[in-house]
Amino acid sequence: MSTLHARSPLGYLLALPASLWMLAALVVPTLFIVWVSFWATRTFSLSSPLALVNYAKFFGRSTYVKLLVDTVQQSLLLMAITLVLGYCIAYFIVVKVRRPALQLGLFLVLVIPFWTSALIRTIAWIPFLGVTGVINQALLFLGVIDKPVSAFLYSRTGITLAQVSFYTLLATGPVAYTLRNVPPSLREAAQCLKATPLRVFWRITFPLTLPGVVIGQILVFLNVMADFATASAIGGNKYAFLGNLVILLYDSGQLPCASVIAVLLMLSMLGGVAVLLKMVDIRRLGVA
Amino acid sequence: MTGPEPDATTSPMPAHDLELKRVTKRFGDFVAVHDLSLVVEPGQLVCLLGPSGCGKTTTLRLVAGLEEADAGEIWIAGRRVNATPPWQRDIAMMFQDFALFPHMTVGRQVGFGLEMLRRPKEAIRRRVREVLTTFEIADLAVRKPDTLSGGQRQRVALARALITEPRILLLDEPIGSLDFSLREAVMLELKDVQRRLGISFIWVTHDQNEAFSLGDKVVVMNHARIGQVGRPEEIFERPSTRFVASFVQGHNVLDGAVESVEGAEVRVHTPVGGFVVPARETAPPSPGAPVSFSVRAAQLTERPGVEHRNRVCATCHAVEYLGSVRRYDLRLEDGRSMKYEQFAAGAARIAEGEQVTLGWRPEDAVLHLPADGGA
Repeated sequence: MSTLHARSPLGYLLALPASLWMLAALVVPTLFIVWVSFWATRTFSLSSPLALVNYAKFFGRSTYVKLLVDTVQQSLLLMAITLVLGYCIAYFIVVKVRRPALQLGLFLVLVIPFWTSALIRTIAWIPFLGVTGVINQALLFLGVIDKPVSAFLYSRTGITLAQVSFYTLLATGPVAYTLRNVPPSLREAAQCLKATPLRVFWRITFPLTLPGVVIGQILVFLNVMADFATASAIGGNKYAFLGNLVILLYDSGQLPCASVIAVLLMLSMLGGVAVLLKMVDIRRLGVA
Repeated sequence: MTGPEPDATTSPMPAHDLELKRVTKRFGDFVAVHDLSLVVEPGQLVCLLGPSGCGKTTTLRLVAGLEEADAGEIWIAGRRVNATPPWQRDIAMMFQDFALFPHMTVGRQVGFGLEMLRRPKEAIRRRVREVLTTFEIADLAVRKPDTLSGGQRQRVALARALITEPRILLLDEPIGSLDFSLREAVMLELKDVQRRLGISFIWVTHDQNEAFSLGDKVVVMNHARIGQVGRPEEIFERPSTRFVASFVQGHNVLDGAVESVEGAEVRVHTPVGGFVVPARETAPPSPGAPVSFSVRAAQLTERPGVEHRNRVCATCHAVEYLGSVRRYDLRLEDGRSMKYEQFAAGAARIAEGEQVTLGWRPEDAVLHLPADGGA
């Protein structure tokens, strides 16, 4: 078999089918959304003038802007929680559990919830969070509370609980992968150089797993920013994020406004990813 | 057993650098180190020598505190350290793969130990510069490990380990990962460093030449146990167990059974004939008991005189010319191999396929009993 040279035209040919598909399914629709967001009229017309009126409308409404802030805030909160939780889980499985069979088993247990569809997983949280739900029952049984708490379902807390359960794995996987690539002898060498376990972690382990941390954080950030299903199932109609607003406006036929929000959502995602990538060179993933 | 005060944290004896007292380490059902006792005096270079899986690396890790002993005591500089974590032990360790931190420059890396000891920044900078200069790697200070050659990595690892001025340096196959051409020079350099600093080195290796040319003391290990401890000459000239004789190159080991014991001599019957071996002071074996003996390849002669009462017939299979000696691989009548070293000067070369009679004096052979252990 002959090898393919880096600059061979054949390489571009091989990339062609996927590129065409991406163009048709992603690039063109995205450009279309951007275009629609500048429509000055509500209905489609090629001659319709382009204007910033829709953007002005968005930023003129404090409830919309607050929704944007809420969405970013929710993402940051989820990132913080899943970072700590996901790192702990990854560290436990990779470093503390020495038996490969047990490691694999624990990973499978983590993945089991993902065997079902996202919708079912979300709905499955409702019987947990409700006034007569599992969490309330358990807390009543343990005597922590003496009457059921309604703060779980149809609340920000409930949404956060559910999202943490969905997205922690996204933060765990990349960290586990990078952690596995850190040879145990590095931690041992640091110990022999008078580093206490805490300092071994902050000076050796954490810096070497930073690429995994950042990739996990990007995944969590993007997913929470785009998540509308959790908010609508668990938040009821009391809580919403930008994604829910897109659907709402789309359903009521306000395409340009829906597009504005979609564009803003995309821009904040791109911005967030850019900031995260600034922190670390992910091409070094696994080189450690 | 010594050490009547297990609770005391300081030893009443003048301090050895290291003392292992009947240390045992198991991994599940596998016994990695069994009832091992060893003393290292200040400034000694001790080599732990043995085949892979013999427990030499585990012993090193027990001293470092990276493994916890299941039984026995570990004393460093007169302090019992069984419960002391690695970062509080007065040791440093050089790992087989050097374990350099990939995200740190050489300078940062070498200063790491002092940083962990919370020395002032300026003092660390000065000391790092000094140490880098000593090890002739000052120009590498800003480089990351992945840009270094094997020899450079080795120097960085050594500098990093020695900067905290440990009492003992533990080295796990320190030259095993280097190019063959570098090994000799690095080996001598490490020994030179050890002599200059006057600290003790515990050097794990599976290479006999390394152990014998470096060690003030060599500890031959097999199956989690010590086979023999002694100066290189002692081990080479008087291997104390059958395993040590067979592991150390240049020895021939023959197995047989006791035919008779005549005063200070034991007659041993083997498939290739009967031989006379000096008895040992302790416990003469009874007739019929299985025994082995070893005789060095250099103590055989192809022109046996009257004093060479042990004779054996062998056919030349292969010959290696090593300058001052020729090393022959011969075959005995039962097909076993026998090594013979002949001084090249003034001796005719034995041709391949040629038959010779080799002889040796009884006193050059060493008797091994199964009870010696380490087999």
